[in-house]
Amino acid sequence: MGVDRSDLLQGTLDMLILKIVALGPVHGYGISQRIQQVSREVLQVQQGSLYPALHRLEKRGWLQATWGESESGRQAKFYRLSAKGRKQLQLEESQWNRLAEAIALILHTAS
Amino acid sequence: MPWWWKSLFRKRALEAQLSSEVRFHIDELTDANIAAGMSPMEARRRAVLEFGGGEQIKEELRDVHRVRVIESAIANLKSAFRFIRKSPSFSAVIIVTLALGIGANSAVFSAIDAILLRPLPFPNGDQLMRLGQYNPRVKSPQTFVAPVRLEDWNRMNSAFQVISGYYRDDGSETSGVLPEKVAEAFVAPRFLQVLGASPALGRDFSAAEEHFGGPNAVLISDGFWRRRFHGDPNAVGKKLRINGFSYSIIGIMPASFLFPDRDADLWVPVPPDAPYAQSREYTWYSVIGRLKPRMTAEEARANLTTVQAQLGKAFPKPDADLAVAIQPLKEIRVGGVRRSLWILFGSVSLLLLIACTNIVALLLARATQRQHEISVRFSLGASRMALVTQLLTEAFVLAFIGAALGLFVAGGASSVFRSLAGSLPRVEEIRLDGRIVMYSLACSVVATILCGLLPAIRGTRRNISGSLAQANRTQVSGRNPLQWTLVGVQVALAVTLLAGAGLLLRSFQALGRVSPGFEASQVLTFHISASYGETVDWKGLTQRIDRTLDELRSVPGVEAAGASATLPGVPSQYQTELRFTEGEQDPEHKMVTESRFITPGYFATMKIPLLSGELCREPKFISTPADPTGVQHTEVTALQMLVNRSFADTYPAGSTVIGHHLQAVDNPFLRPRDIGEVRGIVGDAREEGMNREAGPTVYWCFGAPGGPDPFYLVRTHAEPMAMAETVREKIREIEPARSVFDIKPLPERIDDAFAENRLRTVLLSFFAATAVSLACIGLYGTLSYSVNVRQREVGLRLALGALRGQIVKQFLLQGLSVTVVGCVAGWGLALASSRMLSGMLYGVSPSDLVTLSSVVLVVLLVAAIASLVPAVRAARLDPMQVLREE
Repeated sequence: MGVDRSDLLQGTLDMLILKIVALGPVHGYGISQRIQQVSREVLQVQQGSLYPALHRLEKRGWLQATWGESESGRQAKFYRLSAKGRKQLQLEESQWNRLAEAIALILHTAS
Repeated sequence: MPWWWKSLFRKRALEAQLSSEVRFHIDELTDANIAAGMSPMEARRRAVLEFGGGEQIKEELRDVHRVRVIESAIANLKSAFRFIRKSPSFSAVIIVTLALGIGANSAVFSAIDAILLRPLPFPNGDQLMRLGQYNPRVKSPQTFVAPVRLEDWNRMNSAFQVISGYYRDDGSETSGVLPEKVAEAFVAPRFLQVLGASPALGRDFSAAEEHFGGPNAVLISDGFWRRRFHGDPNAVGKKLRINGFSYSIIGIMPASFLFPDRDADLWVPVPPDAPYAQSREYTWYSVIGRLKPRMTAEEARANLTTVQAQLGKAFPKPDADLAVAIQPLKEIRVGGVRRSLWILFGSVSLLLLIACTNIVALLLARATQRQHEISVRFSLGASRMALVTQLLTEAFVLAFIGAALGLFVAGGASSVFRSLAGSLPRVEEIRLDGRIVMYSLACSVVATILCGLLPAIRGTRRNISGSLAQANRTQVSGRNPLQWTLVGVQVALAVTLLAGAGLLLRSFQALGRVSPGFEASQVLTFHISASYGETVDWKGLTQRIDRTLDELRSVPGVEAAGASATLPGVPSQYQTELRFTEGEQDPEHKMVTESRFITPGYFATMKIPLLSGELCREPKFISTPADPTGVQHTEVTALQMLVNRSFADTYPAGSTVIGHHLQAVDNPFLRPRDIGEVRGIVGDAREEGMNREAGPTVYWCFGAPGGPDPFYLVRTHAEPMAMAETVREKIREIEPARSVFDIKPLPERIDDAFAENRLRTVLLSFFAATAVSLACIGLYGTLSYSVNVRQREVGLRLALGALRGQIVKQFLLQGLSVTVVGCVAGWGLALASSRMLSGMLYGVSPSDLVTLSSVVLVVLLVAAIASLVPAVRAARLDPMQVLREE
């Protein structure tokens, strides 16, 4: 583990959650695991920010939640993307890409 | 408060969900740790550690779900109730003031709602119209419609679903132990259909019952059913004997069905094909029609006018002369009281406004006392918005409690109103229901804004609350322009109301002082049941009434007796156009006079003096051919009449009118061949109502004035009601089959006729008195507050040798100067709004100087007393004590 674990950039957590939930219904524990796996352990999500974010997104209507049985047989709250959330994800993705391109461009030309 | 519970309940469910979501996460982490080879204990410990503070996260989640508006509203409500508990007397004053203000307002609104706003209590009541016929060439009033014409209208028009009609007559029902007077409505076919009503028990009239020669059927009212049959459902099918004919009861109408009026006992169908109903000259029916959906009154008028024009071609005499009139039935019933009700509503709203102004002043004073609390809250970081909301919530809670109590006040006031206004139309429909509750609630919201907004905004001004928090003690100036302005506004509004009440009172007085040209006191009036069927034989009818009057005169204690179609002093108008048969008639000067129908004994009974000539003599009769049913008709011929002095002065016919003959022009009740000879001149009497000067009037002498059921007038030596039983017994002796009813002294009838006037005056005076008291309480409170604040200054001045008289004078002048300004403004307002009262005043002009100046004087006097108390209290201060306290 030569790489430091970084905290998430402000505002990107919502986008990451939406992206992961877009793949299929998933519970909070699953989301935190998935973020760590997908980012190859670089990104560490604090539970303290994950759950409030999930609830906020649910309240905004971007996520829908249902209670169901997990792989381990326990009752868990599963989140899935709503139509509104799908639109929001597209919007945030395109904004993120534009921002990333712009930063990349600055980094290349400045060097 | 149900939403409180709901919120609590939801909170519990939410809490459970949060916990199990967090628990799931930790359980999964534990499992993962076990899989990684840890002991279950260790795995759990590490999982909890990794997850972080579970409680902290849950708190954050709660934060996400918290409904801020409601939570802060609850907090505000709690603080409002705390505020009320902390200052109970202050809150009680506000609540009681608002309860009275909102209660009175809701009570008047409930009357307006029931009488003016709601449709008539029939299905789609707004489709109901009153139809009438009139002759546009003469100024004759709308007349009733012939049965054949009603049927023509119903058949030929295309604007109405159905048209029907009714007329009222009283009958005597003799199947019981004693004859009972019954109020009958004779109805054309389709009567219930027009009104959209159906019997509560039994059925509507059948086709056979609406044909001549069919079975006699009658519908009875709920009231009659309960009175006569004690609510026995087997009453349907029983027989009644009315005016000698037997009728089967086929149905009982519901209690809510009170048409044409609340006294109606029976409904009897009149067959349109009866031989006695065929003349187009008859004026029988008040016609009602139900418009087709989405049809306007205008379209219906146009349509019916076309129909009438067609009838005019088919029957030139008399249809060509007639035009049709259409008005909403509701307008006919309640149009007369609209203005009175709105004036009452206006004054009661002014009252509420004064009450609110008073409360504003109270809350403002309160806000200065709370400056410390408010600045503490500011310094703790509360936003101004939050503080304004808090203060407004306090005002709302006060207003809400006030409105809730106000509903009780409204309930009481409503029943007072009903007893005062028994003669108003639709009074029986006034009730307190959901609409009134909603209205009171709306009032409380309006009151919250009126009372609370200004003090809330002023009370939370940051710089002031900051600086005054420390300056409190050393402050000397008691000047508070806003509060004094409020007092001025109250005084102005109170003066306006008092001026209105004063004008009404003065006209009421003026009406009482009128010498009407007749003497109403010690006159007993009543009816004796009769039927229009008697009019086929005018001779017999005249002889019967004559005999009755003679018998009445023979009763000891009776001075004189007469009969009349109308009552003197009770407003009624009956204008006829007349012309002299002798000499040339000037076509430019139409002779339009009031007509009255009386027996000759009327003048002695009413003490209307005969100025010259003589009274009418015995009438003469002629017989007309027998009708198809074989009844012999008799009619009056050679009519005689008297004119009043005003007539003789206005229309001089040579030296004197006595001996001249007058003929009615185009009058539906007086046929052209009815020519009357003027026999004498009598004094002017206010026949058209106590509030109208006597105009040119013609008295037509009839043995049976206005038909078989005139008013009987009996002048008694003693108190008239004491004679009521004697009169009743006398009639029973001579006419056992007839009932005497509706016995009342004449002055009471005249009073009743002005009941609306009395109601207006009483209520407005009451509102005005309340308004003046409120304004004085406001003045007193503000001045007392000012005295309190300036205690130190007063103490200093007294210590420095100021005279106590000077101190009194100073505060007294402060109070009075505001009152004077308020009075001037109120005077202006009163003048501006006096137009609303015009037409309701008698013998006093809307801008009457005496009334206005005495109103101002009264207000100044009361204001002086209200100011004197705090002023004297200021002067009685002990300077040493005040200075020591500081």
